[in-house]
Amino acid sequence: MRVVFSLLLDWSEAWAPLIPITAWLWTRRKRRLGEQPPLPRYLAPVVAYVWFAFVTDLLIDGIWKLRLTIPPPWNSNNWLYNLHSLVRLFLFGWFFVRLRQPFLLRLKRWIPVVFGVYAAVDFGFYEHFFDYGNLSSRLLALEAGLLLFYCLQYYFYKVKEDEEMAGDQPDFWVVTGLGVYVAINFFIFLLYKELSVYYTRFAVDIWNVHNVSFILLQLFLARALIQKKTHPPAARYDPL
Amino acid sequence: MNHPDGNIKLLVLLGISVMLLLFVSFLLVFISTQRRKYQYQKNLQRLREAQRDLLIEAAVRSEESERSRIAEALHDEMGALLFSAKLHFQNIRLNENDPGNWPLFCKGQEMLDEAIRKIRGISHNLHSSILQEFGLFEAIKHFLRTSVDEHLIEAGTSLECQYTPASKEDAVSVYRMVQELVNNVLKHAHARKLHISCVNNGGVLVLTLFHNGAGLTQEQFEELKFKQESMGFKIIQNRLILLKGKLFFSIRPDGCYIDLYLPQTL
Repeated sequence: MRVVFSLLLDWSEAWAPLIPITAWLWTRRKRRLGEQPPLPRYLAPVVAYVWFAFVTDLLIDGIWKLRLTIPPPWNSNNWLYNLHSLVRLFLFGWFFVRLRQPFLLRLKRWIPVVFGVYAAVDFGFYEHFFDYGNLSSRLLALEAGLLLFYCLQYYFYKVKEDEEMAGDQPDFWVVTGLGVYVAINFFIFLLYKELSVYYTRFAVDIWNVHNVSFILLQLFLARALIQKKTHPPAARYDPL
Repeated sequence: MNHPDGNIKLLVLLGISVMLLLFVSFLLVFISTQRRKYQYQKNLQRLREAQRDLLIEAAVRSEESERSRIAEALHDEMGALLFSAKLHFQNIRLNENDPGNWPLFCKGQEMLDEAIRKIRGISHNLHSSILQEFGLFEAIKHFLRTSVDEHLIEAGTSLECQYTPASKEDAVSVYRMVQELVNNVLKHAHARKLHISCVNNGGVLVLTLFHNGAGLTQEQFEELKFKQESMGFKIIQNRLILLKGKLFFSIRPDGCYIDLYLPQTL
């Protein structure tokens, strides 16, 4: 049982994105049949992210499991984590901009640009994007911090806005899942380089916490993609 | 290889805990604020609806009292005046030397009879005494009998279900809606058959108007009720809000159906 659990956790980055992908495919069929309303436009970056995460994490886990078979330097997956971090911030940044909340709009638009410039400078002068030994802790921690800022400003705006509450709010599920994920992982990302050098065993264990939070994120994304019906069929009588 | 500062593990664990705790607290505060806001919005909505219902009720009541006043005036004053005119007319002695007067006299009497009948018809339509005395279903049957030309349309009713409106005003509202719907069918649908039936569906009265003319779909009704010129549908909509009822239009292979759902607890 423990072995199965450990195996599941080890491969969680590869299979967890399949949860929102399945949800998306299932609801897509219903949307085509007209049984569900179309997905809101702001969810397009989230759908793109789950597909990207699935492909990237499958490669990450595959390389890790086959690291002894694949010749160096191809048996390092750290650059994929860096790439994942960059793409994740751009896609979720796009998601927050697409929400069209008239709050800190300019700042929200500039964050991905600033992050991109930071990544270019960091990988140009201080770190290597294809570093064989380590992922970029600084990049991942900064990304987590920025995404946490995005999440908090979303809640602030929601608290102060006067709009009427809608029944089903996919954006809330996306933001909450993302918020939990980055809150848990901020310190893991920040100190992971140190940990992997000095406390390798602990680093492996703590990465399981990351994996659990990643599964949680995917569950929240799946919930966002499974929308509730908002328009009842016209000919049905709604009992009073 | 160990790090000179062994507290790094503690820092990671503490960092994760604090961040998670802060985020969860923030989330809880957010959810409770949103709930309060939602509750406030719901209360506000309820107040708005109550206010709207009161306004509609007042409008409907004043419309009904005005109808009653006009009906009474037509029946008691105009009707009596025309009847008295008819009696006077009958007592006129015609000049026997002028045979051309007789057809004119007959035509005048016919016109007076027609005017008295029309006045009575309008008066009954405005204020149905049958509705007051014999109830909703009898009034609907009577209305259908009097307003439909049986040579043009085959009309019938099956109104044998149990239904007790909460008040006379509610019965009047249901009657007015049926009146409006039947008038619409007669005016626009060019139907050859018209049938009104009812069923009591678990405390909900379902009145169904069936006709085989050109009917409306639900989407067309939804569009029409917001148009400026659709006065009849607006009247129906107001009464539906008042009675907390629903109206559904559907076109099926055998004809068109208009289902009026009314809760029994009116």
